[in-house]
Amino acid sequence: MRRGAWLGLLIPLVLAVAWELAVRHGLASGRLMPPPSRLAQTARALSRSGELQMHVLATTQRVCVGFAIGAAAGTVLAMLNGASGLTLRLLDPSVQALRAIPSIAWVPLFILWLGIFETSKLALIALGVFFPVYLGLLTAIQSVDRKLIEVGRVFGLSRTEIALRVTWPAVMPAWIAALRTGLGLGFMFVVAAELMGASEGLGYLLLDGQQMGRADTILVAMIVFAVLGKTADSLLVVASRPVLRWQDTHRLRL
Amino acid sequence: MSALLVRGLGKTYADGTEALRGVDVHVGEGEIVAILGGSGCGKTTLLRLIAGLDEASAGTIAVTGENTVISAVFQEPRLLPWLTAEANVAFGGRRLGAAQRQDRTQSLLRRIGLAGYGKRWPRELSGGQQQRVAIARALIGHPGVLLLDEPFSALDGFTRASLHDLLLDLWRELQPTVLMVTHDIEEAVVLADRIVVMRPHPGRVQETLRVGLPRPRDRLAPEFDLVKRTALRAVNRSLAPPPEPHRTGPGVSPWL
Repeated sequence: MRRGAWLGLLIPLVLAVAWELAVRHGLASGRLMPPPSRLAQTARALSRSGELQMHVLATTQRVCVGFAIGAAAGTVLAMLNGASGLTLRLLDPSVQALRAIPSIAWVPLFILWLGIFETSKLALIALGVFFPVYLGLLTAIQSVDRKLIEVGRVFGLSRTEIALRVTWPAVMPAWIAALRTGLGLGFMFVVAAELMGASEGLGYLLLDGQQMGRADTILVAMIVFAVLGKTADSLLVVASRPVLRWQDTHRLRL
Repeated sequence: MSALLVRGLGKTYADGTEALRGVDVHVGEGEIVAILGGSGCGKTTLLRLIAGLDEASAGTIAVTGENTVISAVFQEPRLLPWLTAEANVAFGGRRLGAAQRQDRTQSLLRRIGLAGYGKRWPRELSGGQQQRVAIARALIGHPGVLLLDEPFSALDGFTRASLHDLLLDLWRELQPTVLMVTHDIEEAVVLADRIVVMRPHPGRVQETLRVGLPRPRDRLAPEFDLVKRTALRAVNRSLAPPPEPHRTGPGVSPWL
């Protein structure tokens, strides 16, 4: 572990202990802001009944599938538009116009078109992931150093070879950064989707906590979201490490 | 062996700027020709046209002989930052078989004095080392014609002199036909068989000088100095304003 990494834990720990003590000594009721011990109890109860695992699994699946669809579509379209000026002029203005619509605004339409079950949720998540991936990758492709492209041309590489051996490695860091942004938005939109009506998932747990007046349930769901999001991001960073070794700043923070 | 023949080459950019007009350059088999000139004389444009990076507006470029492969070293090393030093060298040898590419990569790395550096990333190499790798990358495919675009201009004097020697060694061994662009008169006299002096706006050939000194060349020899002075005079003429009938006294040379 990096030196001083524990320092970042100091403030949350102090606050948690202080709150715990405040509630124990009757300085606060802890009804709307339950102390850490109550959260631990709730989490234990939820996981013992298998409820928590079910919600985590449902949310994770949605994010994974939605992310995969959105990231793949964004990547393919950005590659296409980065390679061809014709499709860029043909498609990019429309994509940019669609991007101007807040993704959440699609919800009513998606529900009308795709129903209230899984498909509309996945569509929303995929849409949220699509735009940052598309924009990040396209911008990177368009700004690849012309001098490196020329190296490929001088050594007689074909257009395809230049795309594979020069452009693609050059945009790799930006693509991974775009995927990370997309993944973050994927988690944002899974909550939106699940708040809108679901029978399982962490978003459902949030809503359930609100309706039952259980702040502890809400907080547990939020903490699980934090852990899930951070884990997913870290996995992405670790997976990308081998291909980014050449970068001066490859030590991306976990 | 191959020769490079440039005839009546012209280049006018889309914005109307005329960069080159009617340029004739001939580089014989295994010869080293230096293009010398100040900024704006179109020497880099000339090289880009020959390398196929830009399209000429007029004239022809022909490479004759059995080996018509052209390769180039740029002003900056332009190594691919995601490839190690040896992978960068090997990048230039795509047409070779894997085994041969591997052999030549290793032997070139030894030749350029970077035998133990093959696994390093470009960013871990100094400017001079990076430019050596770029030279090895350009030579691994045994090109018939090697183009050099001020490849040493960003380096310090010591590094530059050692790279001149390295380049001449490799040239003796592989005998490519070399066309190099430079604004450094001494560099041109050290390396070239002939020096083509260009004049600007638009770029065209002012005159051609034969260096005629035996190699290896001694930078301190009086004959070396003589050729350098001749070249300097030619450059000064190229920088003079277009022919005027009455000129009074020599101007101060920007090359001093």
